[in-house]
Amino acid sequence: MSGRSGRRAGPARHAAIGLALFVLLLPFLWLLQMSFKSNELILQIPPPLIFRPTLENYTSLWHGAFSASFINSLLSASFSTALALLLGVPAAYALSRWAGRGKHALGFAILVTRMARPIAFTIPFFLFYRWIGLLDTVTGLVLVYTSFNLPLVIWMMQPFFETVPQSLEEAALVDGASTRTVFLQIVLPLVAPGIAATAILCFLYAWNDFFFALILTRTNARTAPVAVVNFMNYEGWEWGKIAAGGSLVMAPVLIFSLAVRRYLVSGLTAGAVKG
Amino acid sequence: MTGRGLIDAERRRFNRWALAPSLIVLFVIAVLPASYLLAVSLTPFQLITPGSSTDFSAPLRNYRLLPGDPRFVNSLWVQAKLSFWGVLLQVLLGMLLALLLNTRSRVIEFARTFFLIPMVLPPIVVAVIWKLIYTPDISPIYYAADLLHVTMPSLTSSVDFALTAIIIADTWEWLPFTFLMVLAALQTIPDEYSEAALVDGANPIQIFIYITFPFITPILVISAMFRLIDSVKAFPLIFLLTGGGPGSVTEVTNYYAYLLAFDFNEIGYSSAVTIVMLLLVVAFSFGVIWMGRNREAMT
Repeated sequence: MSGRSGRRAGPARHAAIGLALFVLLLPFLWLLQMSFKSNELILQIPPPLIFRPTLENYTSLWHGAFSASFINSLLSASFSTALALLLGVPAAYALSRWAGRGKHALGFAILVTRMARPIAFTIPFFLFYRWIGLLDTVTGLVLVYTSFNLPLVIWMMQPFFETVPQSLEEAALVDGASTRTVFLQIVLPLVAPGIAATAILCFLYAWNDFFFALILTRTNARTAPVAVVNFMNYEGWEWGKIAAGGSLVMAPVLIFSLAVRRYLVSGLTAGAVKG
Repeated sequence: MTGRGLIDAERRRFNRWALAPSLIVLFVIAVLPASYLLAVSLTPFQLITPGSSTDFSAPLRNYRLLPGDPRFVNSLWVQAKLSFWGVLLQVLLGMLLALLLNTRSRVIEFARTFFLIPMVLPPIVVAVIWKLIYTPDISPIYYAADLLHVTMPSLTSSVDFALTAIIIADTWEWLPFTFLMVLAALQTIPDEYSEAALVDGANPIQIFIYITFPFITPILVISAMFRLIDSVKAFPLIFLLTGGGPGSVTEVTNYYAYLLAFDFNEIGYSSAVTIVMLLLVVAFSFGVIWMGRNREAMT
């Protein structure tokens, strides 16, 4: 099936792969182990590799302002995902069944909006929100995140709809069903896995955002990524809390990415998960 | 065939209703802001100066200032260096890693997923991770250097190393992307080629140079282009690790635009910088698409 993959992997190769994986993940593991250490242990030289793990960093985060930020992140990512799916899924279906001109132009326009963010959108959104009072609100974040999640939904859902055989729909249409019924009751259930994968990617894009949240929120709607950075600037370098906060921010991402790793590549080429 | 016609009319009506909300929303949250950015870039807008947001008396003033602004010119240069070295390292290391992992084994298929971790982490967490690595008091590499009696300079605050520190972190974050793309390409190479070459007595290096490499060249180019376009997005790393400093050694154009708008209050000028940056990215992307079309036409 594949070139050099025909050869079996020897022990030397396994060892090399293991070493590469260890070196690559070392910085990540370092953050993880630090989140279970007290501040004295973190500053101890040499760094103890075997220690009694503590959850004190996590519990103090949970009782502090961080939990509110975490909830803001959850809310803004979930609502923008829901909104993008609600608008984008029917649009993607219509586009996938539409052979007219302008389809490619639209595709390119969608790609450009993905490349342009976030630099191009921060100043207009900031000025506009300042004017209508949406600065520092979850609603404001939901709108901004929808601006990049909606193109993603339209872009990602089309191939899923294209896999649904048209003959299936035509049979129902001839029997007198409306297009709406065909869409809702025949097509949608068939693309449910695609919707799930798209939803997770949307959630991750919004969850990963740092730049918009940094500029468009202050205290009320502050998201978890911004809160972690604030531990660094204002709360006197509490390394344990920083590491625990970082670990909490990446936890949902790691879980969801494992769930959709098959779709990660197509989602990524739509303009990289992060920005 | 009136039945057919009715169905088509009904289908068109449905399509309109399905598309309209998305198009309206996209117009409001994407097209309008972009147009507004363009308008603001033609004014000397500062939040503290009333009336400056609608002052179109010298529309091209901001753009005229750009070539003579040493900080802007420097920021383009910094971005070029960051993009070039970052993408080069990511493509090289990603290719090596893909070659290493391109083998049939249950264990390795399972391990592949873990190689993707740096890429899927939130960018701000990547920045936090490297902040921990680059902070002398708590970093394992400073401890290791100490054991070897080597004095390490503070990487992120040194004029010589700050940009390198960013490039290393960026490479770590995006190496999995090129790895994934190259691995996918490697798995499409038919076995017969390398088997035939082996029979002819070719060694693994010759197989790589004459068979594998030509096969994966297009995907190397494509992933390099994708990474080049996205390399303007290293904002969280720069924000957290160096803040653009020391001086403006790591100040990329994006970061300069951010400082202009939200630190110096020069919103009009910052918009002009952003527009120029955006035009460069779009022009570059067009170039990539055009190259892709030509390649298709050729084969």
